[in-house]
Amino acid sequence: MLNKRVLLVTGKGGVGRTTVAAGLALATARCGRRTLLAEIGSPEGGSSPLAQLFGREQFTSELSELRVRLRACHLWAPTGQALFLRSAMPGGALLGAAVRSQALQTFMRAAPSLLEMGWFFHLLTLIRAEHEEGGPEHEVIVLDLPATGHTLALTSLPKLLHRLIRHGPIVKALAEGEAYLNDPRYTAAWVVTLPETMPVSETFDLIDGLESTAVPVGGIIANRIPVDPFTAPERAALAAHLNGAPVLGAVALQRIERSLQAQERLRNSARLVLHIPEVAETGPELMRTVANRLQMQMQMQGDAT
Amino acid sequence: MSRGLAELIAEQTVIVCAGAGGVGKTSVACALALAAARRGRRVLAVTIDPSRRLAEALGVARHSPEPIRLSAATLAAVGVAPPGTLDAWMLDPQQVSDNVVHRFAKTPADADRLLNNRMYRNITAMVAGMQEYTAVEALYEFVTEGRYDLVVLDTPPSRNALHFLDAPSRITGFLDGRVFRFFLPSLDGDGVAKRVATKITEKVMDIAFGQETRVELMSFFALFSAILHRLSHNAAEMQAFFRRPEVSFLIVTSPAREALDEAAFFEHRARQELRLPLSGFVLNRSLAFGERLFPDDAYFADSQVPESARAKLRALAAREAEQVADHQQVLANLAARVDGDCFAQAAPYLEEGVSDIPSLARLADALFAGDRR
Repeated sequence: MLNKRVLLVTGKGGVGRTTVAAGLALATARCGRRTLLAEIGSPEGGSSPLAQLFGREQFTSELSELRVRLRACHLWAPTGQALFLRSAMPGGALLGAAVRSQALQTFMRAAPSLLEMGWFFHLLTLIRAEHEEGGPEHEVIVLDLPATGHTLALTSLPKLLHRLIRHGPIVKALAEGEAYLNDPRYTAAWVVTLPETMPVSETFDLIDGLESTAVPVGGIIANRIPVDPFTAPERAALAAHLNGAPVLGAVALQRIERSLQAQERLRNSARLVLHIPEVAETGPELMRTVANRLQMQMQMQGDAT
Repeated sequence: MSRGLAELIAEQTVIVCAGAGGVGKTSVACALALAAARRGRRVLAVTIDPSRRLAEALGVARHSPEPIRLSAATLAAVGVAPPGTLDAWMLDPQQVSDNVVHRFAKTPADADRLLNNRMYRNITAMVAGMQEYTAVEALYEFVTEGRYDLVVLDTPPSRNALHFLDAPSRITGFLDGRVFRFFLPSLDGDGVAKRVATKITEKVMDIAFGQETRVELMSFFALFSAILHRLSHNAAEMQAFFRRPEVSFLIVTSPAREALDEAAFFEHRARQELRLPLSGFVLNRSLAFGERLFPDDAYFADSQVPESARAKLRALAAREAEQVADHQQVLANLAARVDGDCFAQAAPYLEEGVSDIPSLARLADALFAGDRR
C-alpha cells in the first residue's frame, strides 16, 4: 500500500468509506509518506463529511495542510478544465479568449463527461507534481470515491472519451492518466465493506465493475467487524436456545454469526483483506483508531514482503 | 390527523422513496409496493440501481423495454391475490431517452439522425440531468397511462435524488445556457461580435477536442435543442405533477448518523427549496421495533446453555438495550421534526438482508404489523 502512488478508496454507501479513507491517509503520512487526501468536489457545494473529520466545513481545490506530511484538497472540475485548456492551447491571445469564453465555460459545465474530465485532469496534475528535492510532491494520493456512477464514470472515462474524441490533446492527456490509473505499480483500488451478507455480495460486484474498467484492485477493507466474545459451542448453544425469540442480545449474536460467515467468504475470495474491528468511537477519534489499525497491518504486510 | 404508511399505500398514486445510500431504500420501496398489491392494487415498482440479487429476485433485467409482472404463483405465495398485481421495472435511461427523441423530434428523419449521432449514443453521460429527466418522464408516462393504481419509485442516493426532482428545471437550464447561441446557426444572420466569438470558440474546441468532434457536437446540439425546447414545455407540467396531492415523498433513513444527516439535508431541500409534499420518514434497520426480553436467569431456566455464554449474552443484551433506547430517541426526534401531516415510522433490521421476495414480504409484514394486529 505504501508503494502505490494512487489509492482509490471506494465502497457502497453506509460502510464507513470516508472514515477509512481519512484513516488510511493518516496512516501513510505517519509511515513517512508525503500524502494527499482528496475527494471529488461536489458541484452543489455543501459541507463535506471528509473535511469535517479534520474540523473543516469543506476542502477547496487549493492544497490545505492538515498534519505533518498530510495535505488535502478536493478535485474540482473547473480547475481541471482550466489546467487542461492551459496545457492544450498554444498560449497568448487564444488562451485568453478560451479562458474568457462564456460559451466554452457553459459547455464544460453542461456536459458531465467534461465534468469528469475536469476531475481527471486535476488528479493527473496532482500526480505529475514534483517535489523541490526531486521525486513526486505527493508520494501517496488517497482518493475517497463514492461507489456511485461517478466512480466508474471516472475510471471508465478514458474509454468513454476515446469513443467520442479521437484526436488532439485530450486523447494524449487521457492516455497519460490511464497509464497511471490502470497500472498496478502505481494504483490500487481498495473496496470498503461491512462483514454482512449483502454488502459482501455488492463488494464482489463492485470489484468486477472496477476490473472491467481496468483499475487494479488492491484488496478489501472489512470495516466494523463486531467483536466475538463467544466460543463456537457457546454460540451454537445460545442459537439453539434463542431460536429467533425477541430477546435482547439476539440481534448482536446473529450479527456476529453473519460477520463470521461474511469473513469466511472474503477469505475465500483470495483477495487481500484488511480488518477493522468495531469500536464505540465516532468522528475524528474513530478515524485515528482506524489509522492505527491500518498502520499496524500495513507494517505487518511490509515486514512480510 | 396524519396519514400513516397504510393510508399512503392505499390511497396514493405515486410514492417516491429518497434517502442516503446503504439505508435499504430499494427494499423499503419494494416492500411498500408489495404491501399495496396485497391490498388489491395494481402496483409498479420502479428502481434505478437495485442490488443484483434483488433485481434477479424481482425478475427485472437491465435494458428491459417494459415492466415485468411477477408471476401469479410468486405473488400468491406472499399473499397477493387478484386484482392486486406487482410489476417491477429497472429504469434504462438510454431506452427512455430514445423514446423521448422519437416522440419529440420534428420529423422521423431528424429522430434517426439524432439517434445515430455518436454524441447522442453517449447522451446519458453528455447532458446534465438527462438520466434524472428520463426517470421523471418514465414515471409520468406510467401514471398518466392509467395502467397502474400506484407507482413506487426508488431514487438514486439523495443528493442525486435532488437532481432527479430538479430534473425538469435542470434540463430547461441547459437550454438557457449560452452554449446554444454559439453553436446554433442563427436564421437572421449574426453580428460581427458574435461571429468573432463563435470563431474563437470553434478554434479552441478544434484544438482541445479535434475538429471532427466539434462538428459532431454542433450537429448534436442543433438536433437536440429542438427536442429540449419541446421538453421544457413538458417540464412545467411535470413539476406541477410532483406537487399533486396524490403524490407522496418518503425519506428512508437508518439510525446511522451520516444517514440521518443526509435525511435532514434532503428534508430541508425538499420542503424549503423544492416545496415537495413530504409525507414522512421510515427509520429502517432500527431496533426501535417490537418488544424484547432481557435474557435473565428465568429465561434460561431448564436450558443447557453454559453460564459463561449466558454472561456474555447479557453483556451484549445490556449494550443492545442502550441501542434500542437510542433508536427510539432517533424515532422520537424524527416524529418531532415532522408536523401534523407527516409521520415517522420504524422498520426492523432484517438479519438475512432483503434479497428475495419472501424477505420483501417479511419487511412488508413488519412495516404494516400495527394495522393487522
